[in-house]
Amino acid sequence: MLLSPSDYRKICAKNIVWLPFFLLFIVFIFIFSNSYASPDKFQAPVQDTIPAKRITGRVFNLEDSTPLTGASVVNLRTGRGTTTSSTGIFFIEAKPGDSIRFSFAGKVAQTLAYTGEASLSVELSRSEGLLGGVVITGFQNLDKKKFTGAATSLKADDIKIPGVVDVSKMLEGRAAGVSVQNVSGTFGAAPKVHVRGATSINGENKPLWVVDGVVLEDIINISNDQLSSGDPTTLLGSSVAGLNSNDIETIDILKDASATALYGARAMNGVVVITTKKGRSGKPVVSFTANFTSQLKPTYNYYNIMNSAQQMSVLGELERKGYLNYNVLDRPDYGVYGQMYKALDYSTTTGTFSLQNTPEARKNFLLRYAEANTDWFDLLFNNSLIQEYSLSVSGGTDKSQSFFSTSFYHDNGWTIADKVNRYTLNFRNNYTFNDKLSVGFMTVGSVRQQRAPGTVSRTSDPVFGQFYREFDINPFSYALNTNRALTAYDSTGNLEYFRRNFAPFNIINELANNYIDLNVIDLKLQGELNYRFNKHLRFEFIGALRYVKSSMEHQITENSNQANAYRANDNATMNQNNKYLYRDPDHPDDPAVVVLPYGGFYNRTENSLVNFDVRNSLSYTNNFADKHDVSFLLGQQVKYADRQNFSNTGYGYQYDNGGVPFIDYRILKQTIEANFPYYDMTKFYDRFAAFYFNAQYTYDRKYNLYGTVRYDGSNVLGASSKARWLPTWSFGGAWNIDQEKFMEKFPQIDYLKLRASYGITASLGPATNADVVLKSSTSNRPYADERESVINLINLANDDLTWEKNYQANVGIDFGLFKNRLSASVDVYSRRSFDLISRIKTSGIGGEAYKVANYADMKSHGIEFLLNGQILKQKNYGWRATLTFGYNETKITNAQNVPLIFDLVKPEGGNREGYPVNSLFSIRFNGLEHNTGIPQFIDENGNVSKGVFLQDDKIDYLVYEGPVDPPFTGGFSNTFNYKNLSLNVFITYQAGNKIRLYPAFRSAYVDLDAMPKEFLDRWEMPGDEKITNIPAISDSYYSYVTGANGSYPYNNYNYSTVRVADGSFVRLKTVSVTYQFSNEALTRMKVFKNFSITAALANFWLIYADKKLEGQDPEFFNAGGVAQPIQKQVTLSLKVSL
Amino acid sequence: MNTKRIYGLVFLVAGLAFLPSCNKYLEKEPDNRASLNTPQKVSQLLATAYPGANYVPMIETYSDNVGDIGSGDAGSADLNTLNADLFFFKDSRAINEDSPEFYWFACYHAIAACNEALSAISEASNQDEYASQKAEALVARAYAHFMLVNVFAKFYDPATASTDPGIPYVTEPERNFIKQYSRGTVASVYDMIEKDLLEGLPFLNDKSYSVPKYHFTKAAAYAFASRFYLYKKDYNKVIQYGLQAVPNNDFLSNLRPWNTVYSSIGLNEIAPRYAKATENANLLLCETASYWFRTVIAARYAVTPAVRDELLRDVPVVGGQWAFATGFYVENHIIVPKVNEYFVRVSVNADIGNGFVMVPLFTVEEVLFNVAEAYSYLGQSNEAMALLNTYLSTRIVSYNSSYNLTAAKISAFYGTSDIQQGLIKTILDYRHSEFIHEGLRWFDILRYKIPVVHTTSGGEINTLSADDPRRLFQIPATAKQSGVEQNPR
Repeated sequence: MLLSPSDYRKICAKNIVWLPFFLLFIVFIFIFSNSYASPDKFQAPVQDTIPAKRITGRVFNLEDSTPLTGASVVNLRTGRGTTTSSTGIFFIEAKPGDSIRFSFAGKVAQTLAYTGEASLSVELSRSEGLLGGVVITGFQNLDKKKFTGAATSLKADDIKIPGVVDVSKMLEGRAAGVSVQNVSGTFGAAPKVHVRGATSINGENKPLWVVDGVVLEDIINISNDQLSSGDPTTLLGSSVAGLNSNDIETIDILKDASATALYGARAMNGVVVITTKKGRSGKPVVSFTANFTSQLKPTYNYYNIMNSAQQMSVLGELERKGYLNYNVLDRPDYGVYGQMYKALDYSTTTGTFSLQNTPEARKNFLLRYAEANTDWFDLLFNNSLIQEYSLSVSGGTDKSQSFFSTSFYHDNGWTIADKVNRYTLNFRNNYTFNDKLSVGFMTVGSVRQQRAPGTVSRTSDPVFGQFYREFDINPFSYALNTNRALTAYDSTGNLEYFRRNFAPFNIINELANNYIDLNVIDLKLQGELNYRFNKHLRFEFIGALRYVKSSMEHQITENSNQANAYRANDNATMNQNNKYLYRDPDHPDDPAVVVLPYGGFYNRTENSLVNFDVRNSLSYTNNFADKHDVSFLLGQQVKYADRQNFSNTGYGYQYDNGGVPFIDYRILKQTIEANFPYYDMTKFYDRFAAFYFNAQYTYDRKYNLYGTVRYDGSNVLGASSKARWLPTWSFGGAWNIDQEKFMEKFPQIDYLKLRASYGITASLGPATNADVVLKSSTSNRPYADERESVINLINLANDDLTWEKNYQANVGIDFGLFKNRLSASVDVYSRRSFDLISRIKTSGIGGEAYKVANYADMKSHGIEFLLNGQILKQKNYGWRATLTFGYNETKITNAQNVPLIFDLVKPEGGNREGYPVNSLFSIRFNGLEHNTGIPQFIDENGNVSKGVFLQDDKIDYLVYEGPVDPPFTGGFSNTFNYKNLSLNVFITYQAGNKIRLYPAFRSAYVDLDAMPKEFLDRWEMPGDEKITNIPAISDSYYSYVTGANGSYPYNNYNYSTVRVADGSFVRLKTVSVTYQFSNEALTRMKVFKNFSITAALANFWLIYADKKLEGQDPEFFNAGGVAQPIQKQVTLSLKVSL
Repeated sequence: MNTKRIYGLVFLVAGLAFLPSCNKYLEKEPDNRASLNTPQKVSQLLATAYPGANYVPMIETYSDNVGDIGSGDAGSADLNTLNADLFFFKDSRAINEDSPEFYWFACYHAIAACNEALSAISEASNQDEYASQKAEALVARAYAHFMLVNVFAKFYDPATASTDPGIPYVTEPERNFIKQYSRGTVASVYDMIEKDLLEGLPFLNDKSYSVPKYHFTKAAAYAFASRFYLYKKDYNKVIQYGLQAVPNNDFLSNLRPWNTVYSSIGLNEIAPRYAKATENANLLLCETASYWFRTVIAARYAVTPAVRDELLRDVPVVGGQWAFATGFYVENHIIVPKVNEYFVRVSVNADIGNGFVMVPLFTVEEVLFNVAEAYSYLGQSNEAMALLNTYLSTRIVSYNSSYNLTAAKISAFYGTSDIQQGLIKTILDYRHSEFIHEGLRWFDILRYKIPVVHTTSGGEINTLSADDPRRLFQIPATAKQSGVEQNPR
């Protein structure tokens, strides 16, 4: 095998990507080694012979002066210790001169020299730096010093991007090894999130989201790959879209087997744990945040699209080549030329010809369009105004605390077709009845009202090699794909209609008459109970009920093109060709008839979720002889989730006529004969139970061991007891090297910890046939009276079916240097997935030719690091930087699946043994044909050909381009502050992946389509093939040459080696400036406790991207439907607290 | 103390309450899938116990019913590849609709439905209520195996059947990812077919079907039996079962009205009607995923004008014109309007979708020929000729009794004094014309070891001789996983 030129490029690119990080690292080290100052002298406690007495005191939070419950207080001389009560009070024996150590998870421990006071008041501050904090796993709050797993803890305030409302989108570049691709910027659409890359071939590969200890179930399961489809269901893709980001306190991303162990068989893809704010005792604190964001209109400058004059000259060429003659009027779609030929017709209503058929008149007619240069972006987009207001009140007493928050989000729409309102409510109360019993209640709710352009789900069309979406009116893809010679308004200022689907079409009219209204109500009730039997043993209960209901109303009024397409029956040609007309199968020779004489459609889709999650656990912690810390956790969990999906097509709804449906029975007949149910309801039942046990041991604060076993059961594989239960386990160890004696020689090292973990996690794969799968359907027979209800054998039972599993090994090191001015965390991991679900061709003798079974294996490994440093720190100014870097490589080691060519060349990539998950392949381009300028390829059989059969499974001649998911991801955040002003510059990057360019080339152009400027360099005469790869424009000769043998060279061209770009990019994600009023100023004002103003720019500059992209966003999949690219936006944010 | 007691109590509750109840809790099916808990549901499953693939395109293109038209395009590269491979007697590279591999998978899928049904019935407490379902499952299972053994194994020959490899006869649901199977022998497969067929046949109940023509009614099963015993050369049984297949032995009113009704309606109207349940001639219809219509109307290797002239103009032996309507959509691609495509779009108004063709699996015409052939072998030539005359009365344009078949005409036409041989030749010739586009010619070629010669428009000659190993269609290569050897080449 030889390396192809693109492979050479890939290797070079890798080196280039590594280089800057290496350099950056060197610079960091350099800066820190210089800024190192001499350490403080260490003072040993003094002992004497004064007798001990019982002293008392209280421990508080430094930040808000609330009492700290459960803080550890130890007399270091005697080794005796205690913990504080719920009011922060402690009693301990001590005598003057003793050292008393106060510690609490997440706080900086303090050691005081006791000097004989009667009572002590100690305030513990939140720890800075990496190792001071806690990791919240949702089951436990673990001291980072004892933690053996790989996790990243983020504070919501640090990562919040003003104007970005969805939490999942904020994670981009913030945590090493977490890749976030914003495949769509639409509200509610989730980004593609991978924690340490893919672990499964056909599974979902989405991390598990956990909010306040309860798994956030999706309303509908949308796999990572489906997120880029642009289908209306993607609006429900983000599980966290209903969460007010101002309510979030911390986000913990659990990455390895040890960290995720307690999620057992659902943890394979990592876990994102969100913890929301709690009420704090004290006077009520009112916080108010207001964000005002404007998203900017896109402009043509960034895109490679012909202007109207260039476009008309190409159309002129097509006209001369005989492709745009009078018969365009017979086509379902037409633009400028169709308009002209229509005007040439004799009008019976006016009794004249609206256009004289003279060369001058025609020229003048066309000239108006050639000069139009319509700016579709200007017509269809707004510089929107997004307002977001959030109010919270927090307060309480020792015995009860409450937190209340509410928010309102209003987006008046970046396009003229979308709009969002979201309301959230969060009410949380915690009560401490006595030393033993405390309970908490939480009510979280959100309501979303959203409007989106009307769209239907896309279908994959391997015949032509494209994805197909009918009646697509996505404003962004319309603007990119529509000829700029077309005009939205005619010369008199009225809407100008061209033709689509044989019916008049104007995008502005269509967007007003064809839209989706989405309503989502999401309500969660959660209760928690804590019972402390004694200071060692505790019982904990968490129970949650969540109810989500969404309705999607696709309203297509009688004035829309989509409804009028059903009525386009002007002449015999239309009658023959309009597929929306009805032809009675019993009378095949009769003309087709209109079956939607009045009205439009009212199509409704409803999704609902009812979810219970209950967990009981007992935990035991103890410390023996101040050397042995042990803790155990034993628990049990039950989950229940019922999902329901309902959809209904409402025919003939008359929006303008009192809302009365007019239904012609034949439209139902047509639907039934086409074998489509006009309504549909499916239910999914998810039952889950688990038992878990976890043990931790720490010796002398130096050596930590952590182990978990868990036993999960689920019904999702099918009602067979064989596949039901799965045990998982993990263990880990950590060594706090900084606690060792010999480390005293290195005072510049604040902490140093080595961690390692190993374990098995699992996930439910996309197979449910532990027992036989039978589904009812209707037989495919042409006559209604011969049709019957049948039960299809979908999958045979598979007694060997089990969960997808994954062994993970992780080694990490954390260190802090120079008084925590530089801290870092580096992890190396290796993962081996096995029992993955793959589709395999079998002998078929059992009755199923292609079976899904636990057959495939894959490996992945990677490295990630996080570098955090205070580069400059002076009284008035400073510079703090955080660099994250993640590298992940996957390889399918065994699959034996049988992908078709189309599965591998599509933009989302496909899976093939020996290659990464979601690899992009291309058809090898073999130059343009000398005589015709038609592209040629190496076809499935290795021959030079104009057509490649995309449905073939012979894939040996495809060219491997690279993975679709970026192997390198990360971010670089810089905060500069000068007095009360701070500037944040945040850069994100990714590298090493490949992108399929927009499918700009088509087998046939109509006079509606926009053409890329690349066409200016197209093949025009024999010999041009030596200097250009851009094929000749498709004309009638081209259709004649290629049309006859069922090949589609232009579609193949879109999937060829020349239509691939490198996906690496560096993006200036945000730049923000914050002014924080100083304490003195605030005191003077007397009203505010806190006041800050932030101005931010987001997504303004793509610093580096492949030039071949020509304006295409490297993250965004332009799939039409409801998909929108991420937008440039300006935000002004105001934060006050009273 | 206290804490320990509570600790223990919690444990007890967790242990006792959750562990057993968990298993019950987890027994819920994850979606609204069907379960086979009533006779009606078993019946619905059995609606899919018939091979959902069309065997006609492959065996028809292999047979002497097609020639090289010189050009043609069935509409997709896959179909064209299939069409050409078959014409040149090659193992088909195409694996989709209409390919041998597709048919193999579809037959075993049908068998799996039968076995799931039988397994559900065997677990039911009220087995009596399932009698007719059990019967249908057995007969349908026999039919799918019968087609497989005739297509993918050597044709039944009493002399060698007990050593010729057959095809795996599957009698229970597969429950493992990869299971091993044995091909057995042609004789053992035929024995199993006979056993299932005879066990099921008496309990078939036409009243248990909502659309009887798409199920093994008694009549359809008798027709199947007549074909089975014809291939097995047990002629008494052919007559015994064949005569029961046609109500009151009334062949005449149940034959297709080619020279009457079909001649009076338009060409476009015959095809939709041909495979309709209301046609008396159809004994068993089957819904298949197939693009046979496109191949028939436009493929390069299809019925040529020469084939039409040979088979569809003059009636052999008795003279007169066949009443079969012929025409074309694409010039020189001759069709008899028997095939119609029902195109099911992937979404209501999509341009793409899947084609379906309804195929008559058993017809009254075939039964008539089966019985006539059996009569001939048993020396009852008058009975045979009576049946053939009934047939001709519906097939010859402006039929009158002067077109009747006589021993003299047979002798004269075939130049033989052996009336039995003459009759068999007559039957073969009539079958040849009658079943054009319907595939049955291939089994006559196998039964009588007739060589097939395909000549290309360029003059290249390919012959499939009587003992050519390529007469056995190739078993999919993946069958080797299950220990099933492919046919020798």
